[in-house]
Amino acid sequence: MNTAAYIARRLFYGLVLMFFVVVLNFVLIRLAPGDPAEVIAGEMGGITQEMLADIRATYGLDKPIATQLAIYLGQIARGDLGMSFFFDQPVAKLIGTRIGATILLVLAAQLVSILIGVVMGVFAARKPNGVVSALVAVFSTLGYALPVFWTGIMLIIVFASWLPIFPVEGMRSARFEGGSFAYVLDVLHHLVLPAVTLAIIFLAQYARLARASMIEVLGADYIRTARAKGVPERRVVFHHALRNAVLPILTVAGLQFGNLISGALLVETVFNWPGMGTLAFDSILRRDYPTVMGILIIGAAMVVVANILTDLGYRLADPRIRTEGGRR
Amino acid sequence: MSPLLDVRDLRVEFATRHGTVTALDGVSLRLEPGETLGVVGESGCGKSITALAIMGLIPMPPGRIAGGSIRLDGEELIGAPERRLRQLRGRDIGMIFQEPMTSLNPVFRVGDQIAEAILLHQDVSRDEARTRALELLRTVGVPDPGQRIDAYPHELSGGLRQRVMIAIAISCQPRLLIADEPTTALDVTVQAQIFDLIRDIQDRLGVAVILITHDMGAIAEMADRVAVMYAGRVVEEGPADAILDSPAHPYTRGLIGCIPAIDPALAALDRLPPLAEIPGVVPPLHLLGQGCAFADRCIEAVDICRKVAPPLTGRGHAVACHLHAAAAASEES
Repeated sequence: MNTAAYIARRLFYGLVLMFFVVVLNFVLIRLAPGDPAEVIAGEMGGITQEMLADIRATYGLDKPIATQLAIYLGQIARGDLGMSFFFDQPVAKLIGTRIGATILLVLAAQLVSILIGVVMGVFAARKPNGVVSALVAVFSTLGYALPVFWTGIMLIIVFASWLPIFPVEGMRSARFEGGSFAYVLDVLHHLVLPAVTLAIIFLAQYARLARASMIEVLGADYIRTARAKGVPERRVVFHHALRNAVLPILTVAGLQFGNLISGALLVETVFNWPGMGTLAFDSILRRDYPTVMGILIIGAAMVVVANILTDLGYRLADPRIRTEGGRR
Repeated sequence: MSPLLDVRDLRVEFATRHGTVTALDGVSLRLEPGETLGVVGESGCGKSITALAIMGLIPMPPGRIAGGSIRLDGEELIGAPERRLRQLRGRDIGMIFQEPMTSLNPVFRVGDQIAEAILLHQDVSRDEARTRALELLRTVGVPDPGQRIDAYPHELSGGLRQRVMIAIAISCQPRLLIADEPTTALDVTVQAQIFDLIRDIQDRLGVAVILITHDMGAIAEMADRVAVMYAGRVVEEGPADAILDSPAHPYTRGLIGCIPAIDPALAALDRLPPLAEIPGVVPPLHLLGQGCAFADRCIEAVDICRKVAPPLTGRGHAVACHLHAAAAASEES
């Protein structure tokens, strides 16, 4: 199967999946306790029954759930995520201003955890019973076991408070002046601690997986062939073995995107990172249904897209899948 | 003529859970330029370890070369620096492995895998290496080489993959080609083709071949000399004709007895009933005692066989067997 047809098929499945995500989340949120009309009325101060009814009518909350769902689905189909109850802005605009920050954080964390995890795994695999291997095992288990918010706060204490190398919070300096290059540097500077915090949880899994995968591959017949050709050991490890050992890591990386995005929510809250996580946190507290729904939909879409991209990457990396028409 | 390869008294040990075992116990082999040496024996007798030792590819640890010498054209390989061994591997010594299905790297095109060997050892450009790879594919009889050069290993059959392996092994015109059971994993019809190819290449390049196999039929067709190995030792060694016609060691006789008699060349020998078997299995190396390693399976064994390991004696056709030594001695007196 050619790649274009493959992408088309994956996109179609992705859309079907998105439909169920929307319906399920819509129903779940309406079933959860709390009434957005009361929250909005509370924010306004005084409250009467007429005002409540008025608010409900404004936002369509007086109609049956099935009708609300139908209206909502119609909106979504037109690409309209609705108006935020609380911020009084289009949800699309709210998310639009924050999605970049979240994607940046998630991709940075993914990159850091894969790179460092693979390097750790490779070194551990070179001597499976050695000291490095044991250290990697201890460190990666620890990283996996520690709660994100704790790791985040510890990193802030050490690297922002004791040793003021990195900023405590936010994504850019308050009174920033300078060119676009300096701006990029400023954002990266702010990115380090949150990205590392988020990466540490996933690092452990990549390191273990890379170690196991690398040990297996280094024992393969084709590695012996490479050595018999006179290939230098460094090239055996980083060219012949690593290309094969990263394949399972790619698969797991794709599956981790969902977890990364939910992990990002916590990290964003700890570091006050202006992404979708902080927005989700605020809108859940305020029963801001449209915003919560919008975030869920966009989050799910990000996961779907990430999975399609991962599979495409996998097809590039493993020639066996390309010719077998996408089957594994 | 000085030998191309001279292996003397090679001892290889492995650290295992059962303590140190001796995988090769004083193996000696000689190979003249252009000659074919057949190395036969059951699984676990040390054939492949010998090959890996010559390539300098014994995994260390757990392996260890405990003694002996391996000389290629007079140059000692044991203890030679890794840099030097790397130069020799693939350039002066090519190796073909048992498993063509798994011996090629699945994520690289076969042309690139051949070209890599050329680029490692010869001062040529990428384009030249590719042209050479294409010629090699033609040489080893891969049909439609212009297309196949860009194929991935999984797109080729086992026989074609083995041909690619051979192309890699001969890419730098080595002086020694080690073929470790090159046809074991292949269909019978393909086996014959691969043997033909190896012989053809040998004629063309004048390369010396070590053919490791447990297929006595292949030995009869290909080998000039034969070394029979058992439990890490050479138990009989000599010209192929002599060994096939008058095997002296009971183990060799057993091996020849295992050849199906339908093979007319060997049916003529007719010394043992067709499809005989050797009772028992190769003993685990850590359980080897003092005497002849084959004693427990040997129907002719006498007391001394269980007490003293027989040395390899005799010039030309050498045998490590007390019974043979006694017979030879009585003949002489």
